[in-house]
Amino acid sequence: MRMFLAIVVCKLLRFVGRLVGKGSSLPGQYALKICPDILQKVKLPSYIIAVTGSNGKTSTVEMIAAILRKSGKTVVYNEEGSNQIEGVATLILCNSSLGGKMRGDVLLLESDERYARLSFRWFHPTHFVITNLYRDQLTRNGHPEWVYDAIAPAIHPDTTLVLNADDPLVSCFARGHEKVKWFGVDRCSISTEEHHGVYHDGARCPACGGAMEYEFYHYEHIGRYRCPACGHHRQDADFSVTSLDLEAGKLTIGGETEISLAFRSIYNVYNILAAWSAGSLAGVDRETMASVINNYILKNGRMVQFTLGRRHGTLLTSKHENSVAYDTNLSYIRAAKTPCTALIIVDSISRKYFTGETSWLWDIDFGLLNCGEVKQVILCGRYVNDLALRFDYTGIPAEKIVCYDTVAQAAAALRESGNEELYVVTCFSDRDKLLNLVQREQ
Amino acid sequence: MKVTILHLYPDVMNLYGEYANVAVLCRHLEALGVEADVQTAGEDADFSTADFIYMGAGTERKQKYVLAAAPRQAEGLRSAVERGAAVLFTGNAMETLGASVSSAAGKVWPGYALADFTTVETEKRSPADVVAVSTLWEAPAVGFMNKCSVTRGAATPLFSELSLGFGNEEEHGAEGYVSGNVFATHITGPILVKNPDFTDLLIRRLFARKNWTVPERLPVLPHEREAYAVTLRELRGRIGREG
Ligand SMILES: [Zn+2]
Repeated sequence: MRMFLAIVVCKLLRFVGRLVGKGSSLPGQYALKICPDILQKVKLPSYIIAVTGSNGKTSTVEMIAAILRKSGKTVVYNEEGSNQIEGVATLILCNSSLGGKMRGDVLLLESDERYARLSFRWFHPTHFVITNLYRDQLTRNGHPEWVYDAIAPAIHPDTTLVLNADDPLVSCFARGHEKVKWFGVDRCSISTEEHHGVYHDGARCPACGGAMEYEFYHYEHIGRYRCPACGHHRQDADFSVTSLDLEAGKLTIGGETEISLAFRSIYNVYNILAAWSAGSLAGVDRETMASVINNYILKNGRMVQFTLGRRHGTLLTSKHENSVAYDTNLSYIRAAKTPCTALIIVDSISRKYFTGETSWLWDIDFGLLNCGEVKQVILCGRYVNDLALRFDYTGIPAEKIVCYDTVAQAAAALRESGNEELYVVTCFSDRDKLLNLVQREQ
Repeated sequence: MKVTILHLYPDVMNLYGEYANVAVLCRHLEALGVEADVQTAGEDADFSTADFIYMGAGTERKQKYVLAAAPRQAEGLRSAVERGAAVLFTGNAMETLGASVSSAAGKVWPGYALADFTTVETEKRSPADVVAVSTLWEAPAVGFMNKCSVTRGAATPLFSELSLGFGNEEEHGAEGYVSGNVFATHITGPILVKNPDFTDLLIRRLFARKNWTVPERLPVLPHEREAYAVTLRELRGRIGREG
């Protein structure tokens, strides 16, 4: 009876909320008050796929949804990204009958560690995809081991873990867990024997603290590793990228399926592979998956094309406080084949909370911009001095670097002079400050 | 003129870009015509030639790797300090300088025991911007901390009070530890980049240890003072809004 009432209230509030343009968490909040264990009582679909990780969650979930829908399945997922328990309750209950049965073949959830801890008490995913754990918004989330320790107790023994075999910390989730599927990228054109990047979070074995040995790295601490002290090592993958030519934008999955990349980055390759793995485990055939993933252009548009004066520009959305996201985009610029200008904006560090913390600038490998085709680097925003200070330690010649206090000043200068390609790297919190001053292309 | 810098555990105790503290100190020394010889070491550290010893912040687990070797390294570190070497431990490296660190579950690790204080870890993290009143220089110190511990018994704090941030034992309370040339604070990240006055103080101490004449005016490097001023302004604005 309480369940019935909770579902009715949730649906009603959602209906009213939609009319007045309110968010999606309130209806779930009320439903949980009326019936605290409602998420345990509702009958959920036979596939519940959750995705977590520091980077690429949204992209991976979007591709999984596209694959499953193409195969004819009905997918319910938190497209609005409301991954708090209240938002998920709203999602589930609004898609349930009054008798408490959820419609749809698959419940797909983008989840973070806080969410995992709170929600998986009541129900647990059939498949839990964990893509990677890196330094991400340390001011808010804590470090990767902290996040690991928050997720690990939330994992139910019946859940099939779908893990990135190439991430030594993520691989630890498999310890003592029976149902595990692995995905990974074989040695390929981008593999290196030396570690690249400003810091090395894979230097020590996450299981025992011993010095880790790497056969090769793909990027950061992702690669083929083995700990001589305790034996923790990269597992053989169930789903593999068997060859990859990033420059040509081609990869092969499982030795036979060729995929073209719309966005040529190794991170995109991992997201595709994670989506492929989840799709396979949900029973989708290779041809269907390939047809969706081939040249897949993400809807959550992190890349924006525009014109500013005589320049063509590309904005690559990064996340402040996330050096891997920055390094991705800096590598992309480094691969440019024509002369270009790079614009870096740090004005508000976060749009969700206040902080003056700029330590993360030192974790970003800005030295990647020290290359022939990058003719000029423009820095701007409230924290331009911190940026300039960081760039003093990159080896980029000082005469290539120009600083402006505001985004508007930088945009005006770029409009006035030059016709080289412009690449902009900044965060969601700052990107509109530039995009409002340019002509966007569709 | 040469200064030997020993950077301890740069591979694991480097969670918030702490390597920048060593880099910026080298820049300042070079601007004074001093050669900086940076040595890096972990469990096998040799403290005998070091003029300045630095360790940054790490994860709780990685700090325990450091603590596992601390008792047998303690003698080497102590004699370096007795010879007048300067020491700066930041973030949870500070905790290792004390008598012990205990996990929330009650497991105890002895520290370098250069100071009497003890630390107990908590199950909650307290990330916070920091504005701190120093006991040694005039301008407020700025920075960030992300601690999950309480430190008791630090009789001589480096900062007398905080207008933002968590002190050793409580919010806004006294923070860090200083004794002679030994400096410690739970502020993480590039604290010397963010606080040029602190860098200058260390330079003066290093010159004094070497019996070199300290120049009247220390070099001012580009962007450092400006960056400091912006951060202080932003953080003070926040205090104003919340207070
Ligand atoms: Zn190991």
